[in-house]
Amino acid sequence: MSAIEHMPTYEPVLLKNMSQPGYTGSLPDYEKTGGYRALRNILGKVAPADVTQLVIKSGLRGRGGAGFPTGVKWGFLPKDYQGPRYLCCNADESEPGTFKDRQLIERDPHQILEGIVLACYAIGAESAYIYIRGEFVLGAKILEQAIGDARAAGYIGKNILGTGVHADVWVHRGAGAYICGEETALLESLEGKRGLPRVKPPFPATHGLYNKPTVVNNVETLANLPHIINRGPEWFAAIGSPPKSTGTRIFCVSGHVKRPGNYEVPMGITFRELIYEHAGGMRGDKAIKAFIPGGASAPFLTPDHLDVKMDFESVAAAGSMLGSGGVTVMEEGTSMVWAALRLMEFFYHESCGKCSPCREGSSWLVQTMRRIVAKRGRAQDLETLSDLCKNIAGRTVCAFGDAEVSPIMSTLKHWRHEYLALIHEAEAAHLLRPEPAAKRH
Amino acid sequence: MPESKTDSVRLTIDGIPVTVPKGTLVIEAARRVGVMIPHFCYHPKLKPDANCRMCLVEVEKMPKLQTSCSTVATEGMAVRTATTVVNDAHKSVLEFILANHPLDCPVCDQGGRCDLQDFSHQYTATASRFVETKRIFQKEYFSPLIETQMNRCVQCLRCVRYCDEVMDVKALAPAGRGTMTEIKTFGTHELDCEFCGGCVQICPVGAITSRLSMYEYRPWMLKRADTVCQFCGDGCQITVQTKDNELIEVNSEYGAGRNSGDLCARGFFGFRATGHPDRLTKPLIRRNGALVETTWEEALEYTAQQIARIKNAHGAQAFGGLISGRCTNEELYLFQKFMRLAIGTNNLDSSARYGHMNGVQAMRRVQGTHRWTLSFEEIVQADVLLLVGTNVTETNPITGLKVKEAVKKRQARLFTIESIRPAIGTISNITNLVDQHVCALPTQFGGAVLALLKAVVESRLVDQRLQHESPDYVGAVTQALERLSWPELEAATGAARDTFVQMATGLAQGRRVVVLAGQELLRSAGGYGSCLLLLDLLLLTGKLTEPGCGFAPLAEENNDQGAVESGAVAELLPGGLDLANPEARARIARAWKADLPLAAGATLVEMIDRARSGLVKGMLIVGENPVGSLPTVVGAKEALQRLEFLVCQELFLTETASLAHVVLPAASSLEKAGTFTNQEGHVQAVRPAVDPIGESRPDWEILSALSVLLGTPLEYGDAKELLKEIRGVIPGYGLLGPAPIPPKVDRAAVERYLAGDYRRALAARYTLAGPADAAGGTTHLGLFQSLFHSGKLSTRSKGLLQIEAQAALRINPADAARLALADGDRVRLSNRRGEVTTTVKVLERVPEGSAWFPDHFGQDTAKLFECAIDPDTNVPAFRTASVSIAKIS
Amino acid sequence: MTKLKAWFKTIIFYEILVGMKATLSHLLHYKPITLQYPHEKRALPDNYRGMLALLRYDDGTEKCVGCDLCEAACPSRVIRVVSAEVPGEPTKRYSKEYYMDMTRCLFCGMCVDACPVDALGMTREFEWAVYDKRQLHLNKEQLLAIGDRSFPVREKRLELQHPNVAFFNVSFGHVPQKPN
Repeated sequence: MSAIEHMPTYEPVLLKNMSQPGYTGSLPDYEKTGGYRALRNILGKVAPADVTQLVIKSGLRGRGGAGFPTGVKWGFLPKDYQGPRYLCCNADESEPGTFKDRQLIERDPHQILEGIVLACYAIGAESAYIYIRGEFVLGAKILEQAIGDARAAGYIGKNILGTGVHADVWVHRGAGAYICGEETALLESLEGKRGLPRVKPPFPATHGLYNKPTVVNNVETLANLPHIINRGPEWFAAIGSPPKSTGTRIFCVSGHVKRPGNYEVPMGITFRELIYEHAGGMRGDKAIKAFIPGGASAPFLTPDHLDVKMDFESVAAAGSMLGSGGVTVMEEGTSMVWAALRLMEFFYHESCGKCSPCREGSSWLVQTMRRIVAKRGRAQDLETLSDLCKNIAGRTVCAFGDAEVSPIMSTLKHWRHEYLALIHEAEAAHLLRPEPAAKRH
Repeated sequence: MPESKTDSVRLTIDGIPVTVPKGTLVIEAARRVGVMIPHFCYHPKLKPDANCRMCLVEVEKMPKLQTSCSTVATEGMAVRTATTVVNDAHKSVLEFILANHPLDCPVCDQGGRCDLQDFSHQYTATASRFVETKRIFQKEYFSPLIETQMNRCVQCLRCVRYCDEVMDVKALAPAGRGTMTEIKTFGTHELDCEFCGGCVQICPVGAITSRLSMYEYRPWMLKRADTVCQFCGDGCQITVQTKDNELIEVNSEYGAGRNSGDLCARGFFGFRATGHPDRLTKPLIRRNGALVETTWEEALEYTAQQIARIKNAHGAQAFGGLISGRCTNEELYLFQKFMRLAIGTNNLDSSARYGHMNGVQAMRRVQGTHRWTLSFEEIVQADVLLLVGTNVTETNPITGLKVKEAVKKRQARLFTIESIRPAIGTISNITNLVDQHVCALPTQFGGAVLALLKAVVESRLVDQRLQHESPDYVGAVTQALERLSWPELEAATGAARDTFVQMATGLAQGRRVVVLAGQELLRSAGGYGSCLLLLDLLLLTGKLTEPGCGFAPLAEENNDQGAVESGAVAELLPGGLDLANPEARARIARAWKADLPLAAGATLVEMIDRARSGLVKGMLIVGENPVGSLPTVVGAKEALQRLEFLVCQELFLTETASLAHVVLPAASSLEKAGTFTNQEGHVQAVRPAVDPIGESRPDWEILSALSVLLGTPLEYGDAKELLKEIRGVIPGYGLLGPAPIPPKVDRAAVERYLAGDYRRALAARYTLAGPADAAGGTTHLGLFQSLFHSGKLSTRSKGLLQIEAQAALRINPADAARLALADGDRVRLSNRRGEVTTTVKVLERVPEGSAWFPDHFGQDTAKLFECAIDPDTNVPAFRTASVSIAKIS
Repeated sequence: MTKLKAWFKTIIFYEILVGMKATLSHLLHYKPITLQYPHEKRALPDNYRGMLALLRYDDGTEKCVGCDLCEAACPSRVIRVVSAEVPGEPTKRYSKEYYMDMTRCLFCGMCVDACPVDALGMTREFEWAVYDKRQLHLNKEQLLAIGDRSFPVREKRLELQHPNVAFFNVSFGHVPQKPN
């Protein structure tokens, strides 16, 4: 709560309700704040295609990581397809350093449900699945409860509010795989199969869940919809840094800052502002050494990039990505090799094993990194590392391959000397100790 | 080949232009121009999964490298497979794959024919940069016949996908995540599947190997022979690999033969039956009541002497002959020629009489052909399939695969009339894929077809042209069907009228309708009538003469069809010519330059009856085992014991051969050359893989030698000379080609049938069969064919016995619960005719009130069955009985 | 003159003397170069290729994994390997039987080169004259015995997980457990 109090300059949108004292996220509470107004105004009154147009006009882009324009994504569904379509809400928030969806789900579930029903209406889906991360037990319970309430109130289910629109929502809990946050793996998992990413093309828009046209949207993306409808796309498009990155965004600040937490700010403020003003600056007022701008998959940035604007294009130009909005800050004195290893361990554990470069590469990388950190590195290791990273990136089925090499690639680029220091130390030790280690692990 | 502009695309691979049909994958297009793109996970039979990332290529105007196994060729695409970038990509992927590979090629059975080995030689340096710890999987017991070595696995998941997509068994699954992914069975039990060996064959490395020949060979030691499987009528091409005249393994190449690389457990693991130590290696002769080893000279001379003696004393009609449908066409042909010329009798029959003749005679009568008017390709392309009494996944597994392909890949509608319940089990069950299913007893298959016919007539689905052209026929059939009432039919078949109406509508709407009739129909009482009913069904719906439609009876023995076509049945001459037809007789006599015996011949059961009554004094039995196959009630043993002289040509000392006066050791199909005709009428070459064991000789050589000694020399240099003669007698016979050209329906025959031939026994076949057997039992006992056995030969195969070693009575869980039975309990089966004890296995697919017994082991159960002889085709039907089951504690 | 010279050479057997020159000169040296073989033996060069032998590891286990590569490499078909699974150790391969027909051996050493586990060695034994050729048909026990007496110092058997070593022939004493 304290984090939200310290956000004086911007008006929160998604976090607005929950920042009201006494707001419980229940249906009456939500209705009191004007909830489900968008639903009443849209369903049966505005044509679905116009809703899509509205969203395109707002410039809303996916908040899950890739930042694809939401309305455009909806437009990819085949127009004349006879048969069911599906909407999947991706609540499998497992990116290290990201915890925004959890808060949205637990504190204001109806905001998401309203967004889901609106999206269902726009794309013509009658069923929506919320694929929620298995560890979010509380979130799943709250969603189930909220769906029950909304169904009883007629906001979800058959013939919503007597408009003849059907949209039912189910919650599906994952079983603890990071890869199931990837949209096609999510669909596989939802179908009851092993959660492995599918080969694209065909894309989910044409061959998605059960081989039917499907849209997969992030929780935050869907939560934005009622607000866009209520206040108009123009209002939304004016926030942030138009024309490409519009609206507000919840950034999850973690790491060595004074006040870690979720901060909803318009896109386009600088990292400096986020870290030093909203998050209260560095812990113990130490110097900042590095930060990850968008979840573990995004390459590290250096203090030189503190004045980069937090929108999709500027961060991409700086050599990283805005990703899922998880900003992890590291202070001076952090071992960047160790930090990269920590992330690599995560990716090694989560590599699904479908394609060879990622499967074998992650175990290879993590073992080499462990060796370097344990001061058993060799001079040629760095070259091997960067070579392996290059060989993994872009050669896998899904984007996981690109994600898993980013910590090593970026730390190698910016902090190569730290690697070299560890390796030199290892070699010096080796020279002093002529007998080589009998066993390596 | 589609070559028009709309359905073909042009692209260039490394600058070589190539035109391929739309939808072709780049990797396939490259293969066409001789560019081999390395790959592991891609297989033409499977949907692309693109997980190995080995087949990366550069495609112009695409930023990233693309996997050629999942990229569809488009017009004007320029693909480059040999640039530095691509080469580096291949190298790097291979480096990753090899990182955790144990490099144990010297002890790996795949070493020498391994994709990974080949690509490593092509791409990687000899030393790896991988200096870390390799991942190790502990060895776990997998199954008695299939062995896994997961450290070698490249996780291409071909095995898993094959098991699911092609076999529909889903026995394998990947377990674990990331580098710890390994192939396992579902659950914690050991592998329990169809044992088709597909995973062994499709594994690009040595991760899944066959335990049957583990470590016995290195690939370069093997000598291969492409031949044809000896088990069922599907006629799969197998490649038999031998080392030093010893059978090592069997496999089948993608694209080869009618099976295109797919095999079943019998084909893949059943090959060692012929090398069993019980094989006869020397001629045996009966001296002082016991069979003793002797020389060929003595055995043959004694045989010829005895035959001549019987012929002189009692005339040629006192001699009879039986041959197995597992002999080659050449042998079947020579056998009937021997019987007809050297001995001078038409008393000859083959194992086609056990059921296949029902289908053949029905086809001859209605459509004027003695073989299918279809090929396997038409089964795959069918849009409506009707299966009657097939249990196709067990009896004819490869035909089953064609049906699965039609249903799963081409969305064909499948209707089945089977005595199987749809239930998921360890063996794939065709009724799991159906649109409409009628679960009837084998005795009521005819009733189900009648109900279907009634639905066709009542729903006004009769072909308009037929109604117009042959009103009499349609009228007669309609009238006959009117006598049957729906309640009666529903009670008999256990299915509702609505089901039949839906099936009838589906059949009438289908453009390519294929009807498959299996053994359970062909070998049941009234099988001939039911086949005619099915043909009536096709006629009435106007499908019989349509292209892509037809009736296909499935053969149990691999050369039943060849036996019919070679004339190794009493009533037919080579080429399916009628013995009673003087014109046909004259044609054969001209070809043979000798006169044929005139008297109609005795068929299988008639011969046995005549032997009992003393009319037949001597018999020549080639590879057939009537004592073991026919029920006790026929009395084959007593009849054969009364013979003055019985000579058998056999692989093993069977129940029949042990009654013989002379037993001549014959060579198995793996040891001789010739041809087999599969059920679709495709003649395929049989090539010797090993030398005949011991002193055994091919059957045709034995017959030829006997004919010389009898003074009617039928001499041939080799099997090819015989085939040449057959081709002289049957023009165009046995053109060895990639695919058979099925005959067309003979319109004259159809017209003759419609003009009045249909009236013969019309009322009889349009009558609902009564309760089958009144032998005083409550449970319907049926003999069924197990997937793991075929005939009696497979029970000598080490591999198959490891899967299924003994007979067990299959019963439904509900029945088992009623009788308080569990797997392995012993029960007593009894009826008026006798009683038998056996063990029980609970199987969900068995219908309630039925029990199945595999017909490969149980000689004991033979006494429970009665035998009904079909009046038209003389087929003995003895596969059903009613029994009571009681638990023995 | 030349005639006379020729006649003279003939009567004193000049050519023979020329031919015997080396012999005669050695008459005077009393250091014999013929080795009195059974009593005296030559020093063999280090790379001498003598009798073939099968070797063992220090723990007494046979090195041979029964891979048949020696059989494939042998140009004169000396070797015959019958390999099988080690009883009690699933999927581990060894040579159940191993035969060498030494009557045909060329001592080219290709089998030794081909062996992936260094299970074959060429000893410096050469005294293998026998009365019966069949005694030169050696089986596995005989070949191992030759190895035992010719190579008393045995190679250490590698532990599993030695970096970058193919692990088909290593000790499985310390197999790391699979993480759950």
